[in-house]
Amino acid sequence: MSPVNLLGIACNWSPYCCYNAAGQAGLELPPSFRLMRVMCIGRINQALILRAFEHGADGVIVLECEDADCRYGPGPEVGHNNVARVRKLLRFLGIGQERLVEKTFLADQKEELVRVLWDFHRRIEALGPNPAKARQERVAS
Amino acid sequence: MKQTSERIRRIIEDSSLHLCLECGKCSASCPRLVAGRQYSPRLVAQKLMFHPEDAAYINNAVWECLTCGICEERCPSGVQFCRFILEMREALAEEQGLLGYRAHDGALHSWMRIMTAPELSQNRLEWLTPDLKVAQRGEVAFFTGCSPYFDVFFNNIQVDTLSLARDSIRLLNRLGREPVLLGNERCCGHDLLWTGDRENFETLCRLNYQEFRDHGVKEVITSCPECYLVLSQYLPKAVPESRLKVTLLIDLLAAEAQAGRITFKPLERRATYQDPCRLGRMAGRYEEPRGLMAKVPGLELKEMEFSRQGALCCGNSSFVNCDAFSKRIQVERLRQAQATGADLLVTACPKCLIHTTCAMRDPVKGGSLAMEVRGLVNILADQME
Ligand code: SF4
Ligand code: SF4
Repeated sequence: MSPVNLLGIACNWSPYCCYNAAGQAGLELPPSFRLMRVMCIGRINQALILRAFEHGADGVIVLECEDADCRYGPGPEVGHNNVARVRKLLRFLGIGQERLVEKTFLADQKEELVRVLWDFHRRIEALGPNPAKARQERVAS
Repeated sequence: MKQTSERIRRIIEDSSLHLCLECGKCSASCPRLVAGRQYSPRLVAQKLMFHPEDAAYINNAVWECLTCGICEERCPSGVQFCRFILEMREALAEEQGLLGYRAHDGALHSWMRIMTAPELSQNRLEWLTPDLKVAQRGEVAFFTGCSPYFDVFFNNIQVDTLSLARDSIRLLNRLGREPVLLGNERCCGHDLLWTGDRENFETLCRLNYQEFRDHGVKEVITSCPECYLVLSQYLPKAVPESRLKVTLLIDLLAAEAQAGRITFKPLERRATYQDPCRLGRMAGRYEEPRGLMAKVPGLELKEMEFSRQGALCCGNSSFVNCDAFSKRIQVERLRQAQATGADLLVTACPKCLIHTTCAMRDPVKGGSLAMEVRGLVNILADQME
């Protein structure tokens, strides 16, 4: 099976707490997985997700807080909206909407986070590489 | 600038910069300057020729231009400013990367580059409904362009770009034509071309050409001015073996309406018309859209203060730099539209539709800029008999 590149975009608060706790507890994470921490999923827009696919990501998982837990207000709702739109774009593009998922976490769900990441890793591994594999910009800006 | 002076010399020559008389007409008409930005096409031209060491100024100016083409229209000396900008962007992008500030964080350019993957198998025709008659094979195709993608990306501003594709097909069906729609058509590449990404632009041209060829397509009809410009003028340069015939839907409609083969029901409205830069100044179609509107009984056309060759830009082109000055240009344009007393703004480009709609929704303006904006094909398809 070909190795896959996965990108996780995690909110600094609940999901990152889980990630940190999983690391401290020595729980094993999928090797395919790279994490990008942002202060809030509300900061993420359609462009940032699309760019991951443009640069060859095989799957992107957006890790966010529950709606009511957002430290800033509308963060997760902005996330749901962007994910829904980019999933549609990915379907049109033939990359496949199943390559982009979002999950919400409470701060104490480290085992759940690890399970979700492995599950996503296995699903993308089964799908194989993103058919639009990296056509890099000459200089990323 | 590290570029060899040879390349710059060629760009200066190709775009006839050396013919500049320093009259300043270009700067006086440039919408960026009119919107308050200290921006001068004349000065960029002069700097490049005589002070190329001022690279910071030149580079910024090259990325800031809207490529709207008013300056070229005004220039008494035949300086091809848009060509100059296009070639400079290519040169700068090759040397320094794609540094122009891209609106929407470059999301649209991302999907355009994603489409350069040859293995891609898109699902871009999901919007087709059974009432739209299209063919699987045939010599004439309709080029949808990015409408399906815009429709999703811009759904927060409720701009129905897909209606342009639907209504174009309804009009073609009305004329007894069933065009082929290609499921793997790529973006025409307009925005990559105008942001200096020549390599990916040419890949899109080749992939589109192969798609046409593999389906036996000899003629492509499009309603988008940018697709028209690229497919008719730039694709043949990237794919020299191409013998594609490219038809602008409004040309076809104008001819059919002239011959009386399509007529329209009355629409009692007062409208004004936004000339898209790629349709007007770059493709010379000023009378065709106006002639078609005149065929709709009751539809009164009131021209804006700046129209035809002097039409004001919708504020942005190629999604390269939408900033406060773009916004001021849009506000000014919408005020001009309102000043005509019209309650309907008609345009013929999906991007004019997107940009004017976006500007109208500015919450700070409290709805004072709002007016109905529709594509010309929307009006014609609704009124056709
Ligand atoms: S093309 Fe338009 S924005 Fe660019 S310099 Fe000329 S008038 Fe100004
Ligand atoms: S309008 Fe033409 S001749 Fe006059 S300053 Fe501008 S580029 Fe030079």
